[in-house]
Amino acid sequence: KDKSAASKDSAPQGAAKRQEDGAETPKQQLLDIIGSMKVEVSYRKKLQQLKASESKKQAMNKLEGPDSEGSVPLGIIEDTQRGKPLNPELVKAASAVASSLPHNKKQIESELLAQLRRHEETTDKQKKGGTINIRNVISEMTVKRQSPAQWGARISSLISLQLDEDGRRIRPERSSAQSMDSRRSLKVGKRLNIFTKASTEPERALKTVSSPTIWDLEFAKEVAAVTAQPPRNGFEEMIQWTKEGILWEFPIDNEAGMEDDAEFHEHIFLEKHLEGFPKEGPIRHFMELVICGLSKNPYLSVKQKVEHIEWFQKYFEEKKELLEEI
Amino acid sequence: MAAAALCWALRAARQVLPSSCLRQVRSYYVDWRMLRDVKRRKMAYEFADERLRINAIRKNSILPKELQEVADKEIAALPRDSCPVRIRNRCVLTSRPRGVKRRWRLSRIVFRHFADHAQMSGVQRAMW
Repeated sequence: KDKSAASKDSAPQGAAKRQEDGAETPKQQLLDIIGSMKVEVSYRKKLQQLKASESKKQAMNKLEGPDSEGSVPLGIIEDTQRGKPLNPELVKAASAVASSLPHNKKQIESELLAQLRRHEETTDKQKKGGTINIRNVISEMTVKRQSPAQWGARISSLISLQLDEDGRRIRPERSSAQSMDSRRSLKVGKRLNIFTKASTEPERALKTVSSPTIWDLEFAKEVAAVTAQPPRNGFEEMIQWTKEGILWEFPIDNEAGMEDDAEFHEHIFLEKHLEGFPKEGPIRHFMELVICGLSKNPYLSVKQKVEHIEWFQKYFEEKKELLEEI
Repeated sequence: MAAAALCWALRAARQVLPSSCLRQVRSYYVDWRMLRDVKRRKMAYEFADERLRINAIRKNSILPKELQEVADKEIAALPRDSCPVRIRNRCVLTSRPRGVKRRWRLSRIVFRHFADHAQMSGVQRAMW
């Protein structure tokens, strides 16, 4: 499929080139190129790749500015074809190409026509843009000649990944310095649009893990230990302390850590817990005093108070034989 | 003497398990006495509730005396280190048992040292 598509690429490209010279009819040129198509293998593939990337990019950036540049064949086709319906000559050329190839002809033909249609779309979009030439692309790229001093500096910086005193890497400074040093800075010049925007892949479904294994936990711990850089300043230190629980959270709320959801009546009216005790006698008297004291205690939670009373209940249960002797 | 007291070269062989934090962790207590004091504090914390309750039984006039005697025996049977009376407020840095100011948990010598080096917030030499 690559071959056929590439051949079709080279065909219109050849046609356009010849048209610029202003010599032959497109059909003749196409047929000539089909005959000579076996020669240009590697070049075709490059063009094919360029075209594929370009079509993707065009799909993404529809509002490209006037400086948009695409791959080679599309801009050249622009001269020959305008308008939405496919040029009948091109259709004929496509069918000729398909017939000349040994594989399934109908499939190749349909693919070629689909590509042609895509070309039409892209050329419509590119009407605003200027002509795209691989020459432009190459012209922007110059061979950088660096002084040996710069070479040395670059190599040394590449080798040693130094850390600042603050702990930050030197890299950001280096890159900005490089862009300033180089004669052709990175931000100036026509956009080549060779690279497409990275499309966000849909997140793959999470693997179902019943429980994190020990190795996973260990790995997670290792990662956390490595990524936890020492604090660069006092603020980060305080943040770390707050996370660990050493430093309180500000503004201070007096009930931090205290999750007492009980109402006041649960704290005060504790007689319902006294059901396990005898109704008369010194023990009851004693427990009523205990409850009176607990109801006035603001420091214990309801749970703790209930535990207190239950402890006494258990204690007196154990001493029951002793008590009955008395 | 001050220099000797301030010399942290006395280190007992007690090692607290190091955690994953990057701060300086005190891995040793100053001396064995401090370690024993730490153990006593922990035990006192564990048995605090029980001691309170048994003492509540012992120290009232309502319950029969036999019960109180039994409670006496029970509390005596608890481990010795669980009573809070055995805790000594030592200096946190030098483990000095005497001359310790409660607010700072430091002995007087250490306190003076830090105050003179302006490392105690809000502490100033008195002059009037």
